[in-house]
Amino acid sequence: MIMYCELSQVVEVSTSKTGKHGHAKCHFVGIDIFNGKKLEDIVPSSHNCDVPHVNRTDYQLIDISEDGFVSLLTENGNTKDDLRLPTDDSLLSQIKEGFESGKDLVVSVMSAMGEEQICALKDIGPKN
Amino acid sequence: MQGYSNGGGGGEGGPADLAKLQSIMQSIEIACSSIQMHVNPAAAEATILALCQSPQPYKACQFILALDVSSIAPYDCGAFQVIAFILFLSNLAENSQVTNARFQAAAAIRDAAMREWAFLTADDRRGLISFCLCFVMQHACSPEGYVQAKVSSVAAQLIKRGWLDLSASEKEAFFNQVNQAIYCNHGVDVQFIGINFLESLVHVSEFSPTTSSAMGLPREFHEQCRMSLELDYLKTFYCWARDAAISVTKVIIESDAAVSEVKVCTAALRLLLQILNWDFRYNTSGTKMSINVFSAGVRQDSASAKRTECILVQPGPAWRDVLISSGHVEWVLNLYAALREKFSCKGYWLDCPIAVSARKLIVQFCSLTGTIFSSDNGQMQEYHLLQLLSGILPWVDPPDVVAKAIESGKSESEMLDGCRALLSIATVTTPFIFDQLLKSISVDHLFVITLLLQVFAMMFRPFGTLTLLSTLMCEVIKNLMLNSSEEGTWSWDARDILLDTWTTLLVSIDSKEGNALLPSEVLNATASLFALIVECELKVASMSAMDDDFNYVQASISAMDERLSSYALIARAAIDATVPLLMRLFTERFARLHQGRGMIDPTETLEELYSLLLITGHVLADEGEGETPLVPNAIQTCFLDTLEADKHPVVILSGSIIKFAEQCLDPEMRLSVFSPRLMEAIVWFLARWSQTYLMPFEEIRDGYSNFGHDYEHQLQSLHSRKALLSFFGEHNQGKLVLDIIVRVAITTLVSYPGEKDLQELTCNQLLHALVQGKNICLHLVALDSWRELANAFANGKTLFLLNSTNQRSLAQTLVLSAYGMRNAEASNQYVRDLTNHIMTYLVELSNKNNLKNVAQQPDVILSVSCLLERLRGAANATEPRTQKALYELGFSVMNPILLLLEVYKHESAVVYLLLKFIVDWVDGQISYLEAQETAVVVDFCMRLLQLYASHNIGKVLMTLSSSLLNEAKTEKYKDLRALLQLLSSLCSKDLVDFSSDSIEAQGTNISQVVFFGLHIVTPLISLDLLKYPKLCHDYFALLSHMLEVYPETVAQLNTEALAHVLGTLDFGLHHQDSEVVDMCLRALKALASFHYKEMSASKVGLGPLAAGLKDSNGNPQEGILSQFLRSLLQLLLFEDYSPDLVSTAADALFPLILCEQGLYQRLGNELIERQVNPTLRSRLTNALQSLTNSNQLSSTLDRVNYQRFRKNLNNFLIEVRGFLRTM
Repeated sequence: MIMYCELSQVVEVSTSKTGKHGHAKCHFVGIDIFNGKKLEDIVPSSHNCDVPHVNRTDYQLIDISEDGFVSLLTENGNTKDDLRLPTDDSLLSQIKEGFESGKDLVVSVMSAMGEEQICALKDIGPKN
Repeated sequence: MQGYSNGGGGGEGGPADLAKLQSIMQSIEIACSSIQMHVNPAAAEATILALCQSPQPYKACQFILALDVSSIAPYDCGAFQVIAFILFLSNLAENSQVTNARFQAAAAIRDAAMREWAFLTADDRRGLISFCLCFVMQHACSPEGYVQAKVSSVAAQLIKRGWLDLSASEKEAFFNQVNQAIYCNHGVDVQFIGINFLESLVHVSEFSPTTSSAMGLPREFHEQCRMSLELDYLKTFYCWARDAAISVTKVIIESDAAVSEVKVCTAALRLLLQILNWDFRYNTSGTKMSINVFSAGVRQDSASAKRTECILVQPGPAWRDVLISSGHVEWVLNLYAALREKFSCKGYWLDCPIAVSARKLIVQFCSLTGTIFSSDNGQMQEYHLLQLLSGILPWVDPPDVVAKAIESGKSESEMLDGCRALLSIATVTTPFIFDQLLKSISVDHLFVITLLLQVFAMMFRPFGTLTLLSTLMCEVIKNLMLNSSEEGTWSWDARDILLDTWTTLLVSIDSKEGNALLPSEVLNATASLFALIVECELKVASMSAMDDDFNYVQASISAMDERLSSYALIARAAIDATVPLLMRLFTERFARLHQGRGMIDPTETLEELYSLLLITGHVLADEGEGETPLVPNAIQTCFLDTLEADKHPVVILSGSIIKFAEQCLDPEMRLSVFSPRLMEAIVWFLARWSQTYLMPFEEIRDGYSNFGHDYEHQLQSLHSRKALLSFFGEHNQGKLVLDIIVRVAITTLVSYPGEKDLQELTCNQLLHALVQGKNICLHLVALDSWRELANAFANGKTLFLLNSTNQRSLAQTLVLSAYGMRNAEASNQYVRDLTNHIMTYLVELSNKNNLKNVAQQPDVILSVSCLLERLRGAANATEPRTQKALYELGFSVMNPILLLLEVYKHESAVVYLLLKFIVDWVDGQISYLEAQETAVVVDFCMRLLQLYASHNIGKVLMTLSSSLLNEAKTEKYKDLRALLQLLSSLCSKDLVDFSSDSIEAQGTNISQVVFFGLHIVTPLISLDLLKYPKLCHDYFALLSHMLEVYPETVAQLNTEALAHVLGTLDFGLHHQDSEVVDMCLRALKALASFHYKEMSASKVGLGPLAAGLKDSNGNPQEGILSQFLRSLLQLLLFEDYSPDLVSTAADALFPLILCEQGLYQRLGNELIERQVNPTLRSRLTNALQSLTNSNQLSSTLDRVNYQRFRKNLNNFLIEVRGFLRTM
């Protein structure tokens, strides 16, 4: 859901009431899907809230360029070159090591509200 | 006598020896002090461990222990004593440092002796024990209590280890030493130590199997020790302790200040208590068979879980002379009475140790029961209890004075112990006897002579014990009302204990004869007690109404539930008065709500109603727990004079509550009065009430003759019962009430959005309870309101707002109600109508061209999740009658499901729902399916597995947040667990099959299918994931099931699959959870015995697998059975495991040895070769020899042989494990 204009995945919902015979409110704890920050919010349980449209697409990894961008192969055969490598070191090394050891890698790219980020990596093994 | 050194230089005390000992001692001392100061703890621990594990460290240990002992001479021996004496002076300075070292040394003696016990000589054993005993006695005055305790427990353990080897006279000798200490005039401290030693024998319970320390011996050994102690020694110990206590009693009673004898007396009383706590097993025969109500006074009240525990003491008749007829009880009572007088003196107070011990002992006496009392119609027990009661009475009587004293600062412990004593007495007697105790006026002449004066006065009291109990409870409740805000006050404890007493007394009355037997004064007393209880609860309710934080934890809810059911028992005891009382209270509050509408804040009244509803629910009806509860006996047998149904008090009460509930249908009322919390109570009440009263199935049986004294009376009772039962029956008001209930349920689901708890109650309890009754179902499906609900479910949008588990439960309930349709065809059609919308939506969605994009829209995801939950709920409701429709439903969504699995591969929540639906659906369907259908389902499952695996193998999640990562891992675990469950339910097709033809007809082989499935799933299960205990458990359960039932399939697996299966099996063998190891061992047994049997029948068996393969480099590899033989032997001989596993391990080892005899011989020889010490070597050789040859073991795999081998292996391990592990 969207919390304070940030995208987050809800990890905990608890309800509370105003007095014993009052009506319930929901307490959300969310984690930003792009930067991992924790967010909290309280809303009455009868309210509606916004849910973002999150898309995940798989691309095959073709190349990693020097300047930190990746080159991806789309379904229709074009390449997509506008995506940066993740900044976190451990994630970065996972991708780089996998790529350098010659594995065929598929990356899942998550996109929502105009932002894009690599969220998963999968070894599809050598093609026979 | 000789020294203790067996290896090394003997006991001559050469200077080299002395130096060596000293250096050992120094290193240990350094280690101990460095541990204390946290300097290099690892190294220090290693030093100490090395001492424990070094062979025969006794000498060094005794050396350390005895360092500052000059006077060990009379008990100890020769050269050793000399060393000790010489060193004594020089080491005296180091005293402060060596305390810890001595502690460690005692521990080392224990470890080493346990390990090497089998090859110590008898003299050595005795020597060790007496060394420990003497050490303790000698140091009686020493201030280092923990070293004393340790050494004394070591002595206890050593005695136990040797219990079966020591002759009676040897044991006698040791105990004489103790006895001497207790009796003779060595001083108070020695006496104290002696008693403490006995306590560590009995109480720390070296001898009671549940608490004894591990010795690596079979359970049987512990049992034998226990029996021997109980039969031969326990009573003697008891007498010793008693005599010790009696010997000091006089001094204590006569002194005005604290004296040192008090310590001895306290210890003795504690020991007496511990001995009475012993779980007597032997010599109590006949207790269970006896018909005598008094001696068989143990009532198995499994129904009532106790808050306060009450242990029954049941020694056999052998104890009668000590406990009953020797005036022992009287002595304790007198002692305590004398102590009471002294509480004003210095050194004594209400909670001083000796008073506490004495009170505990008295309470323990109250729970004395069984064959210890002669079968004289209970007179002996009655007298015993009367005597005790007379002693206890001053603690609690008169209740108001006692309560006031406690409020003004007196300690409450005496009063609480008094309550506990009442509970004990209530447990061992019947309510009638219990009541009579206090007013037994028909005094036996024996009583008159022997009873104390106090009792004599008491006997002419006008009221019985029950009345006393009520007044006592009333005082407690009154106090609670004053202090209701704070928990944990004395009145809370007292209330809980007294409630237990009531429960104990009333449960039997409630389930048997009704309360006709209770005298009217008791009825009055209980009625007023209940009124007070309700008043108190209401006051608490209205006071807490405004509290904001009321996050009840589960424990406090169940505690409250227990409390309410005890209240209900009290209420039912005086049901005549309590139902009208409840009615009055309800009416008052209803009126208050109506008058004050819009003007006064109703919160307090609402909270009061909430409590009242809970109480009334408990009073009127019992918890069903899956069964159909009957109308409580007390209610059935009461109100005999009301013949017209609509005047029956219970009918009036129920009716008015239902009428009140109905008002929530009016939106305006709902807004102003019916808060979500009040609705919770209403829904809960309706659920509980309707299970008992709504359209009861029971017809009035004629000739119900268990009660009633004459025909007229009986007839009247029949009429009144009938009036009550039929009023809400199907032909009377039943349908009307059912309609109201369904409408209330719809209201909670629709008009209280987001009230999760309320809706959960409605779905899981109320609606669920309705469809449980088959006759209610018949009427349900005919009701307009129910159709409305079904329609809203199938076509409306509002119910999509419910949370997911409630969706599932609702779907299940609706499908279950299909039972109410006329025939199977109609039921199936009903289910189709209900579920059609799900199928249509999913099929349409999956047929969309732009599925990939559409599916990612949040509202689509929501709908899909809801529908999957509904599907799962429907699948859960599979019954033979509706199976067909549900199969069609599942069949028609098969393709959409696979498509959705593909589309939602990144939405783990949806994937889990998909898998769970399939699991539940297959589980419900599998046993009904015909061969053709089975083939379809199996094929579908395999495609599902493959698809899932292709998405997840080799996937690495990239996220910055570790909590998201953990969550993803947990989700993976849940998925895999679901898949394993799916395979397990497929497995069950081979066991339970209702179809008309065999599934083989379609060429489906379940075992192959499941192995194939396992092959797909296992690569996904990493060792990391096996750390989830449930997953691990499921996986190995499935694996061992497969190997046990289909060992032949293993031979057909390909190498890769096989390697994985065997790898996990090996992993499981070394798992910490003994259940997992057990399953692996069973699998091994199955494999090996299959192979052996096949080989003996000259078939291939496991074929090349067992014979060994050549690996890729052409090197010959061992066969799998050889590998397992190796690792199993390694495990058994050198590693840690629970002794419970030995017999399963034997079952696996035996066929393995038979299969691989050559290897076994080789391994055995290797073991022998490695042994340097000649004695040990010959022991090992003999042990190996007798493992396979003793007990007429032959080479067939039958039951008898397995049993023999188990015994052999047990003996073998006891014999050799000790020294093999230290090498």
